[in-house]
Amino acid sequence: MAKQLLIDAFRGKKTSRAPWFPYAGVNCAFHINEKAEDFLKDPALIAKGVSTTAKLYRADGIPLLFDLSVEANAVGCDLKWWADNVPSVSTHPCSGMQTPAQLGLKVPTKESGRWPVIMEAGRQTKPLLDAMDCAMVGLHCGPLTLASHLAGVRIFTDIYKNKPFAHEVLKFCSEVIAASAQFYVDMGCEIIGIVDPVASQVKAESFEEFVTPYVQDSIKVIHAAGGTSIYLICGDCTKVMKNVCTIGTHGFAIDEQLNLNYVRDMARKHGVGFGGHLKLTMALSLGLISPREDAIASLASGGTEGFVLAPGCDLPYDVSAESMGQVLEAMDWYAENYPAYPETED
Amino acid sequence: MSDRKIQIDVLTLDSVQCAACGYMMEAIAALPEDVQQMIDYKEWSIKTKAGIGKFTELKGKVLPTICIERDLVFPSRIPQYEELIDEMAKRAPDKAMSERLLSLRDKGFQFDKVQENLQKAGAGLSTRQS
Repeated sequence: MAKQLLIDAFRGKKTSRAPWFPYAGVNCAFHINEKAEDFLKDPALIAKGVSTTAKLYRADGIPLLFDLSVEANAVGCDLKWWADNVPSVSTHPCSGMQTPAQLGLKVPTKESGRWPVIMEAGRQTKPLLDAMDCAMVGLHCGPLTLASHLAGVRIFTDIYKNKPFAHEVLKFCSEVIAASAQFYVDMGCEIIGIVDPVASQVKAESFEEFVTPYVQDSIKVIHAAGGTSIYLICGDCTKVMKNVCTIGTHGFAIDEQLNLNYVRDMARKHGVGFGGHLKLTMALSLGLISPREDAIASLASGGTEGFVLAPGCDLPYDVSAESMGQVLEAMDWYAENYPAYPETED
Repeated sequence: MSDRKIQIDVLTLDSVQCAACGYMMEAIAALPEDVQQMIDYKEWSIKTKAGIGKFTELKGKVLPTICIERDLVFPSRIPQYEELIDEMAKRAPDKAMSERLLSLRDKGFQFDKVQENLQKAGAGLSTRQS
């Protein structure tokens, strides 16, 4: 376990091996026999689950949480809770085309919504991970995903048909997520990620107008604290890949639907780190593809310059230790048989 | 107007876990009531073997994807309201339904029955209630 390797790789540097960053999320609850809901509501369970899973997976870094409902809930969206999944957002306050200002929505403080639980979880978890040389990574919701939570699916029509309204919502989202970034800085997270899965679902021009400007406040907060910034996107983001590479973060992460050779070349061209992209369902959950073979293919494509081995997205609740054990076995086998090129040892 | 409804299949990772999948589902579930009466829709999560089967059967390429009448119409792109209406109208079983759909083009998404509609479409069925 080596925190610095993860930081270096996400900053696009050469590393002695590809660091490993499992986004375990509610899978941490599974490993301590807790329901996702109970886990997410209890700081002590979060600390126990995250540290247990980090050790089990020999992680170089692990997210404190992978839950994109935190910001939405902190500004007033209702949640539906699940035993084996992250909560889903069930109400959209801006869906009647009222702006956050008209609704009187406020940028969260550390006392808003679930933040007190998360701050306490961070306080308890950080020393446990530090003792393992594992980075505690803070992940907050990205602007377009938060805008979807606030306005519902209409935001994808509004970015074309009602641009002033969409910009008002996104501006508020930018302020909300910058506050989240500051909370994670205050917790001591060395790496902070902006997770914006729905940003893959829009055209490149829309990404440039409605995503890129609204992550800048968060990036500024992270960089001002000397932290490492990453942007995580899901789905087939081929059409916005250049936008992702140039968004301003040190690195990014993508999911299993992309060709990792293409992603690697794009990341290196733009001098940023990249992470991905173990197959969540076919390999890790269902075992229809060998998790070991899948991990070896990613390691071979990614190499050891700016590459972080990671799942395609957050791990489903019940991914087993056996499946993930195959990934660890692949990492060991790869390190033994394909050590980093000598020129990386400078 | 035909009694046959327009079939919509949404191929997802899991609409609870994946926000992009969730909003693909919501794009259908938030269609106004008049449109709801002309469509049948279902979520196919690739976390299940049935979902993998449907993905293969429809020759899916990426997740999430909205399929209308078995065509992969919105692969990895959450549609605007009017685009959805237009694509459904193109594939309606008869001219009367197509015209009825196009007459609802200006109505816009409605959110009052989203949760109820999502449940009917099987959203979250691969997830346990807390």
